[in-house]
Amino acid sequence: MAHANLAAAQVGDQLPGTTFGPVTRAMLALYAGASGDHNPAHIDIDFAKRAGLPDVFAHGMLSFGGLAQLVTRWAGLGCLRSFGARFVSMTQVHDLINCSGTVTERFEADGETRLRIAVVAAAQDGRQTLLGEAVVAVS
Amino acid sequence: MSQADVAAKPAGLFDRATKGHALPTVSVEVERGRIRFFAKALGETDPVHSDIAAAQAAGYPDLPAPPSFFMAIEAMADEERARLGQPSLITLLKCDFRRLLHGDESYAYHGLVFAGDTLQFDTKIIDFYEKKGGLMEFVTVEATVSHAERGTLITATRTLLHRLG
Repeated sequence: MAHANLAAAQVGDQLPGTTFGPVTRAMLALYAGASGDHNPAHIDIDFAKRAGLPDVFAHGMLSFGGLAQLVTRWAGLGCLRSFGARFVSMTQVHDLINCSGTVTERFEADGETRLRIAVVAAAQDGRQTLLGEAVVAVS
Repeated sequence: MSQADVAAKPAGLFDRATKGHALPTVSVEVERGRIRFFAKALGETDPVHSDIAAAQAAGYPDLPAPPSFFMAIEAMADEERARLGQPSLITLLKCDFRRLLHGDESYAYHGLVFAGDTLQFDTKIIDFYEKKGGLMEFVTVEATVSHAERGTLITATRTLLHRLG
């Protein structure tokens, strides 16, 4: 896959946005199987209701994976040095997740030039679900 | 239960006596099929995670794992622990799935994970704390994924929480 020219990237640059979903129950079942996270709160509506929740809710790590793709599609997999996010609200079934990222810093570390990128996942109504940060190596 | 018992009971559900506990190292093998399945579940479009020819054309020895594949490595480590008769992190912490949420997750990458790798998985329970006057309790956990020749590949820090309100 062709990636962005990171050497030319500047603070303030926006990554091409990506969308993820809408989240379906089938996606949650597949993610439970693939990740091995079998927490029934994500896949068993009977369990969720007994726990006092209106419905199952999405694994935070499913959106985390989608948000990481925003960065790897832009920069490439091999130059990712760190990636992390806080789960600031629940992702619900049927949510369409918009992923965005902005270059916030260009710095030197461990003998290479790196970019810090602020990343955000937000649902269709603007509700933020994940706030995170990625660091990629330019060279 | 007497009033004294109630008072003596630590707030929250996590087993806070596990603070500082390091789980025994376990070894896991990464299969191509698991990477393909994980990439598909994430809607990954980059063929390097599913097509050997694409991975090799990109300079990789085999299918590379997506950045959040750590979750699957941890699950495989838990399965291995179960076979060995050892408790998982979730069991040790006494997590209650009715109240459990994920607070944050972050990874430092020192190298890529590839299909065919045999990896060592280590987990340590770091600390417990509360917020909102005890309505939320948190645990911080650190984990590392290492390879015998390539060294540490992923350092993970994560926070889990119980909603107690």
